[in-house]
Amino acid sequence: MEPRASDLDPRQIDLEIDRGERPDRALRITRRTFINKAILAGTAAGAASVGWFPTINTIDLAFGQQAAFKFAWLSDTHLYPKDVNTRFVEKTTRAVAEIKAMSPPADFLIFGGDLAQLGDPVELGLGADILKELTIKKVFIPGEHDWYLDLGAKWEQMFGKSPWTFDHKGVRFIGLNTVGQAPDYWSAKKMSPKERMGHMATLDGSVAGPWAGVGEPQRRWLDQTLSNWPKNQPVVVFTHTPLYEYYPPWNFWTRDWREVNEILKPFSNVTNVHGHTHQVLYNEVGKLRSIGMLATSWPWPYAPEGVPALTKPMIRADPGDHFDGVGWSRLTVTAGRVENEYVMFGRKAVFADAEVDSGTGDNGNQILSPRIADRMYPY
Amino acid sequence: MNAKRPLLIALAASVVGLLFVVLGTGRMLAPPTALAHKEKHTLDQLNAFQEVFMEQVKIGDLLFHGDGATEKKMNVTLSKTGMACAMCHPFASDTHPHEFPKFQEQINKFSTLRDMINWCIEKPNEGVKIDPDSDAMKALEVYIYWSNRGSRLATGAH
Repeated sequence: MEPRASDLDPRQIDLEIDRGERPDRALRITRRTFINKAILAGTAAGAASVGWFPTINTIDLAFGQQAAFKFAWLSDTHLYPKDVNTRFVEKTTRAVAEIKAMSPPADFLIFGGDLAQLGDPVELGLGADILKELTIKKVFIPGEHDWYLDLGAKWEQMFGKSPWTFDHKGVRFIGLNTVGQAPDYWSAKKMSPKERMGHMATLDGSVAGPWAGVGEPQRRWLDQTLSNWPKNQPVVVFTHTPLYEYYPPWNFWTRDWREVNEILKPFSNVTNVHGHTHQVLYNEVGKLRSIGMLATSWPWPYAPEGVPALTKPMIRADPGDHFDGVGWSRLTVTAGRVENEYVMFGRKAVFADAEVDSGTGDNGNQILSPRIADRMYPY
Repeated sequence: MNAKRPLLIALAASVVGLLFVVLGTGRMLAPPTALAHKEKHTLDQLNAFQEVFMEQVKIGDLLFHGDGATEKKMNVTLSKTGMACAMCHPFASDTHPHEFPKFQEQINKFSTLRDMINWCIEKPNEGVKIDPDSDAMKALEVYIYWSNRGSRLATGAH
């Protein structure tokens, strides 16, 4: 029996990637995908090693010859009750209005998690009210901020369970729950639900540990779900966290991504669209592409290391303008191609053209330490 | 001879008393000082210095992560939006303390890290800016520096 990718030394996996396994070769070769290949060939090795390369403008994905359609991605609204913060409400409302105004309209909206900030039913209810404005089909996957006050009870009551799947115009769409499988960090420490949520809501906290994961039952479900799907037909997998390893200390990963990748490996055209990272990201691992989406709430900085070399970083946002660096995504599917368009409020130029304007420009000179206070008693 | 003895005792006592008062008063008037580097450092001493340092790092960490109890204790309001410093700066990333002082675009002047901290408190967080020399500011500053230790000094970098 061949070893699974997850059993291999990561360096071996890198070698496999270097040998050239890439997303479907049959996809339309455009200037942008051509440039991607040039990066892998090493022509921009120096720039790529610090996560900076001034080329890719949009993401081209290969899809079958099917009828054209659009869908919209919205996530990471992080709503507080209105009496705490109205900014996040304003930005979510704006995104919803813009999605509603899409012409032609989106066939559906995928909400990618973190509707609430602290999992409070008031926050989830507020989100549901805002999203009611959209009458198109809506599908939901949870984020960790939606989940850990009551371990997903309210979320599932309001927005349904995941995983789920549906086929639309030749594409199999799948929604996974990558947040509900955290190892139990609360019982032994006798945390209250609010304390449990508080630790989970701290991105750089050390208490909640490596919580992002698909888990064995869901992986079995995924395997089963794809068993009747032709290997060359497009698959889109929605997750809250990225299906690769970007920066585990902030759970910018899914801990069993290698096992998930093994299940997806036979399929030549798989795209993972994810939230959680609040920033422009693009990566390829084997035949799996991943695209990171913007938040409507606030942009996270790029991690000090691990930014995929294929990512063209987003522009450095103005911290004095809370509508800057945030937004949603419009994904247009045409015959054989899908283009992801980041809709960043008030900005036409989403990507930086020079390192000095880039969100990763200073990464090379940042050596950071994990926080200390949450490792003290009683944590 | 015996008759003068009580007088001598009284005189000696007065001198001792006077010296006590003068030295005592002197100590009260002069700023408190601690001797430094007169003896080789002991491990206990070094541990004590480190403990004082780390205590401030921990306080800064709590303030940076929006700990309400610590804010209350230090009588500061760092945010009124539910946002904490760490929500834009996990691990104090993207704070670049090693670049200050420098010209800071948002403030439109040559600024220190403390200026920048106060700008973030007032603008994105909509909190109440704090005394630049306050304990809270020093704690925030030391947490940011501690988190970024190892980064290369790059004053003025944008």
